[in-house]
Amino acid sequence: MASSTRSLGRIIAAILLSFLVTAAVLLLADAPPLRTLGILLQGGLGAPAKIGQTFAVWVPLLLGSSGLLLTFAAGLWNIGIEGQIILGAVFATGFLRPFPEGGGVVLVAGALAAGILGGALWAVTAGGLRTWGRVHEIFGGLGLNFVALGLTLWLIFGPWRRPGVASMSGTEPLHPSLWLRELAGLSLSPMSLTVGLLAFGAAVLLLRRTRWGLTLRAVGQNPEAALLFGLRPNRRILEAMAVCGGLAGLAGALQVVGVYHRLLPAISSNYGYTALLVTMLASCRARFIPPICLFFALLNVGSIQLPLQLQLDSSLSGVIQGALVLAVFLVQGLEERFLFPGRGR
Amino acid sequence: MLIEFQDIHKRYGAVQANAGIDLRLEPGRIYGLLGENGAGKSTLMRILAGHTRPTRGRLLLNGKVADGLTPAAALGLGVGMLAQDPLDFPALKVWENFVLGKRRRRSETLKRLQDLSHRFHLRLPPEEKVAELTVGERQQLELLRLLDLGVKVLILDEPTTGISVTQKEALFGTMRRLAAEPDKTIVFVSHKLSEVEELCQEVIVLRRGRLVARVAQPIRAKDLIALMFGAEPHAALGTEARTQPLEPPLLTLDRLHLLGEKFALEDLSLEVRPGEILGLAGLEGNGQELLLRGLAGLIRVVGGRLVLDGSELQGRPYLAFRRAGVHFVPAARLEEGLFPELSLADHVHLALPRNGRGTAPLSPEDAISRFSIQAQPSTPARALSGGNQQRLLLSLIPARLRLLLLEHPTRGLDLEATRQVWQHLVERCRQGTAILFSASDLDEIFAYSHRLLVFYNRRLVANLSTRATSLEAVGRLMAGQERTV
Repeated sequence: MASSTRSLGRIIAAILLSFLVTAAVLLLADAPPLRTLGILLQGGLGAPAKIGQTFAVWVPLLLGSSGLLLTFAAGLWNIGIEGQIILGAVFATGFLRPFPEGGGVVLVAGALAAGILGGALWAVTAGGLRTWGRVHEIFGGLGLNFVALGLTLWLIFGPWRRPGVASMSGTEPLHPSLWLRELAGLSLSPMSLTVGLLAFGAAVLLLRRTRWGLTLRAVGQNPEAALLFGLRPNRRILEAMAVCGGLAGLAGALQVVGVYHRLLPAISSNYGYTALLVTMLASCRARFIPPICLFFALLNVGSIQLPLQLQLDSSLSGVIQGALVLAVFLVQGLEERFLFPGRGR
Repeated sequence: MLIEFQDIHKRYGAVQANAGIDLRLEPGRIYGLLGENGAGKSTLMRILAGHTRPTRGRLLLNGKVADGLTPAAALGLGVGMLAQDPLDFPALKVWENFVLGKRRRRSETLKRLQDLSHRFHLRLPPEEKVAELTVGERQQLELLRLLDLGVKVLILDEPTTGISVTQKEALFGTMRRLAAEPDKTIVFVSHKLSEVEELCQEVIVLRRGRLVARVAQPIRAKDLIALMFGAEPHAALGTEARTQPLEPPLLTLDRLHLLGEKFALEDLSLEVRPGEILGLAGLEGNGQELLLRGLAGLIRVVGGRLVLDGSELQGRPYLAFRRAGVHFVPAARLEEGLFPELSLADHVHLALPRNGRGTAPLSPEDAISRFSIQAQPSTPARALSGGNQQRLLLSLIPARLRLLLLEHPTRGLDLEATRQVWQHLVERCRQGTAILFSASDLDEIFAYSHRLLVFYNRRLVANLSTRATSLEAVGRLMAGQERTV
């Protein structure tokens, strides 16, 4: 309990610190800090439609972070999650392409399953590079992210291009019968919200309540001991990667059937990297994940208003998110330095 | 320089590395500092060189208290330590490394380097990059750099690891010349007895953080062995475990060839019977660890046969060894044996999964009471004392077992904890489990094993019945003065 209170305090200190940094950036850009933050919040929460959009961003972040809870528990830095989202989107699109006339729920479910498969395959590739090829998952994952992006571009401008026009606007839109149904007036699908919540719950249960989750944590803590205990650390690493990649792929598939209804070059919207920031900010504590995802989604959606109202670039949300994570690490480091000066020397 | 340690204590968490060391080192002499791993010799020297501070006690240099030393301050006072791995910059040239930290022109530096090399009969190419040098040459460079800084106390921590015989001779020559200069004190840290015997005028032996003896020349290796491995009472369970079993062998090694990371153990032939206890004796790093890990399936087998209960296991994966009833307990409990942040209950669940009917073979509460672990099921492993960590590791050993392999099972434990550990192990072997263990305490090996395997110079040199041999004979074997196989 005490350590949980401490991480909460850490997050609050980090939020304050990062807002100071953001305010400094805004002052340099000649923008009024408080008004800018006001517009950000307004942009994300000001109207029912905005709230809908915020939750639509919340779902992929929640899916990604849920997967990352497992890989972080196993001691893995799954940077490749961005590419895993992309591959989910690619597989989902590929699955639905033979049906230009549309279809029903079965096809949509199939697309989601294909997305899970695509993300999992991409993640297992990074995992295999690590366990079999001794390539660290950060490098393997990062490399595969670029490959995934290249693959998407090639598909959009090559074999899957729209008849006549190949452009950054993506592939031919799906038949509307394959779109996820949205709540009236909100660009939010109840289906994807449900899937996101279920996935988060399942990830937490797996990690905290099953022997498999305990095994993952053991591998993350001490791979040598895990080997001696006969826990097969390499297999556990591949499994954790597969589950995380599957959730990321699901997020990618939901972007296709629920949000954009086609494959776009920027289909992943950097949600993978953002989910990494979320999980780091939460210090891998599950209970902090949903609110932080919501906060980051809010910043993402709200920042769309910035260019319109203040002539500021919408990348400000990225500045705030990055500053937050750096601030958390800084607060953690300073705490370590001043509360436990003896350690680490 | 005159060095005085007064009542030096140093604690690292639960480990007492130095426990009240009083020691006076005079100038003009070469001292050998001897002890097994974990005896506290490195800690004591790190205190002298300012790398760490004692928890209690004082250090006096030439009669003046030297408190709160840093490595730079110690060097300023004239204390230099030649680290095990050379601390240099491989991308720079020899003379650049030599001049680092000083303002001096190139020509002047070259002259200085040449003078010093000449004085100590060493040859180093000044324009060569350090990356091109051998470990021995890099050590010589570091040595000259320290001498150039005017050190009066030179500490050499295991300096002969990884250097050639000629380089060793050159190093010893330098040290003798240096000791002949006024006001220089040299401390040679090692566990190689022959080198200590050859080089040092006086040997200081540490054991379990305490100073156990100072021996002046003539130094005899076999006396040193007795001192390093000491004599502590271990009689409690010894006698009844002595009756040697006579059943057919459980484990047979036939010309087994194990390939470790640093060296190989060749031509191992051995038979172990059910319920037998074999103690592995030898100075650390001579193959005991390799044999234990090899029998656990953790080391690559490149030749020969390893037969357990009639089935050949050489070349099989670790999990096959586990299924065959082999269990290995490493010496580094927290680093290799346990999960620091996981609770005691988590460890029990991980090690002893429920069987098909959903019943657990051992509950965390049972483990705590049966092995008298002083902790709660929720206590994380890192918060346990060394003794409790060991008891936890013992509680995690499966009930049905053929072969139990233990690295230093009682290292860092007090006598009572040691006795409890052995009580449990002897009970295991009554149930037919064969045990192989390494220890740096010969008395412990004599007290509990039916047979001894002695290692010297990275070879198995003797396989003896405990009854038919003596501490002195084993000491001689460990020092390489006699062979029986």
